[in-house]
Amino acid sequence: MKRHTAAVLLLLLVLASGLVLRVSRHGYAFQDRDAIMAPATTEHWTGTDELGRDRTVRAAAALLIGLTGAAAAAAITTAIAACLGLLAAFSPAWASVLLLFLSDGFLSLPWLFLLMMARSLLPLTASPLETAVTTFLVLAALGWPACARAIYRGARSLRSSEWMLQGRACGLKTGQLIRLHIVPHLRPLLLPQFLVCVPAFLVAEANLGALGLGVGEPMPSWGAMLLELDNSALLARSDWVYLPIALLALVLLILESFAEGEAHA
Amino acid sequence: MNLPRAIAMRVGRGLLLMLFAATGTILLVRFAPGFFADSREMDARYAQAARAEMEVESGRQQSVVQIARQEAKGWLAGDFGQSRQYGVPVAELIGARARVSALLLAQGILRGWLLAVCAALPISALRRGGLLWSLPFTLLLAIPASAMATACILADAGSPALVLSLLIAAREFKFLRSLLEEAWRAPHLLQGRAGGLAPLALVRMHMAPNIAPQLRALATLSIVTALGALVPIEVIFTVPGVGQLAWSAVMNRDLPVLVAVSLLMALVVALAGMLSTHDRTLEAA
Repeated sequence: MKRHTAAVLLLLLVLASGLVLRVSRHGYAFQDRDAIMAPATTEHWTGTDELGRDRTVRAAAALLIGLTGAAAAAAITTAIAACLGLLAAFSPAWASVLLLFLSDGFLSLPWLFLLMMARSLLPLTASPLETAVTTFLVLAALGWPACARAIYRGARSLRSSEWMLQGRACGLKTGQLIRLHIVPHLRPLLLPQFLVCVPAFLVAEANLGALGLGVGEPMPSWGAMLLELDNSALLARSDWVYLPIALLALVLLILESFAEGEAHA
Repeated sequence: MNLPRAIAMRVGRGLLLMLFAATGTILLVRFAPGFFADSREMDARYAQAARAEMEVESGRQQSVVQIARQEAKGWLAGDFGQSRQYGVPVAELIGARARVSALLLAQGILRGWLLAVCAALPISALRRGGLLWSLPFTLLLAIPASAMATACILADAGSPALVLSLLIAAREFKFLRSLLEEAWRAPHLLQGRAGGLAPLALVRMHMAPNIAPQLRALATLSIVTALGALVPIEVIFTVPGVGQLAWSAVMNRDLPVLVAVSLLMALVVALAGMLSTHDRTLEAA
């Protein structure tokens, strides 16, 4: 899949989701008690779940919430990585060794395990919005090491370039050098890092949600919607139960293609 | 750098990593809201004296240093402390489960690598259509481990090892393909091809020795990936392994079990990291 095709498909999906939420008469939390586990009808296009909530609306909302959260978390993690990577590249040797050891430590520990621990240790009384924000913040806080390493390597190679030496000889301070010369040169590195993080965070949220540690109900999320697959009564009634998993796979496929296309560009 | 120093540095790095994991776990759990909450307090069967004893026990866990000291005592005693949830030594809990998880990890990683190598070798040599042949792996990459495990249970087919191997295969195929594509383009391989060397001989004599260090580094990453995927797979398939124990410990804030599992994972990763860089250390020395 080409980069432009992936971008157009993603945009279409986002627009379609927005449209579904706009035209729907009920919100994602509305429970139609007369249509519990209903198959596809004109009112509920892809049926309802065990609480009578419209599956199309919930899938559309999960898509938007997931993408927004993952993109925000990816932006935060890229910013943290950029700061730490630059700090490691421009600080004394002992400080960079320490920072790199910290990133290696994070890198070498299993990601999902760390996420699971950090997420589960939060208050049990948190509201759905708080759980969503916390989940994505935890993802952002733990996702920086690989990105920081790449930025560190990029910044180190730029640091020893001739034009940097010239800048230093002209009297530019380290802060000015970073702002004027290093950051613009690192932009082509930062964008692919950001794009790689988005699908990774979506997968992590889905895995956490499937363990009951993701975004809290009634707010829809990929992970929470995957839990529907455990309900055999629901599976026997409608094939639309598989909609979230199919949609998630499609979104991830598009995002992976987009990130790969951007990295090769 | 001489060899003993290089080895000492590797070991030191591994130990520091474990210390980092233990400290991080203790800090995370100690400062988590509700750490001092104990479900036994709600149980009417406990007498006043028992409650007072529980309070004293909980008071001992106020400071991080005290918790660390208790954990260290448990480790020195060889039982890794007492599980808060099950009331048995942690070593007893982990011992039996570690074997189950190790077997699952070994099966998953070996099968995953076999699948990835068997697919990546011919696909990377193709001049056209490589993207189309890679599509199944790209699709697998787009399915979270938990969803894959649930799908297997629904279809009443597959096993935890299959899910783990598919996950590893999808991840490693991506890296292997680009690594092999680059290797096929190397001038000496082109010359070997032009000279009429059979593809298998080319791979065995020229390609494999050149990409071996990268493959070892990739293998280390496979272990980390597999350890991460172990939790959802074991929980969904109800496999009595370390991943399931970790999940249960997280849900019940069982600190001794959490610290032991974190250290076990850090140890596995540190050992794998040491092995993957061992040859390079020897070469450099």
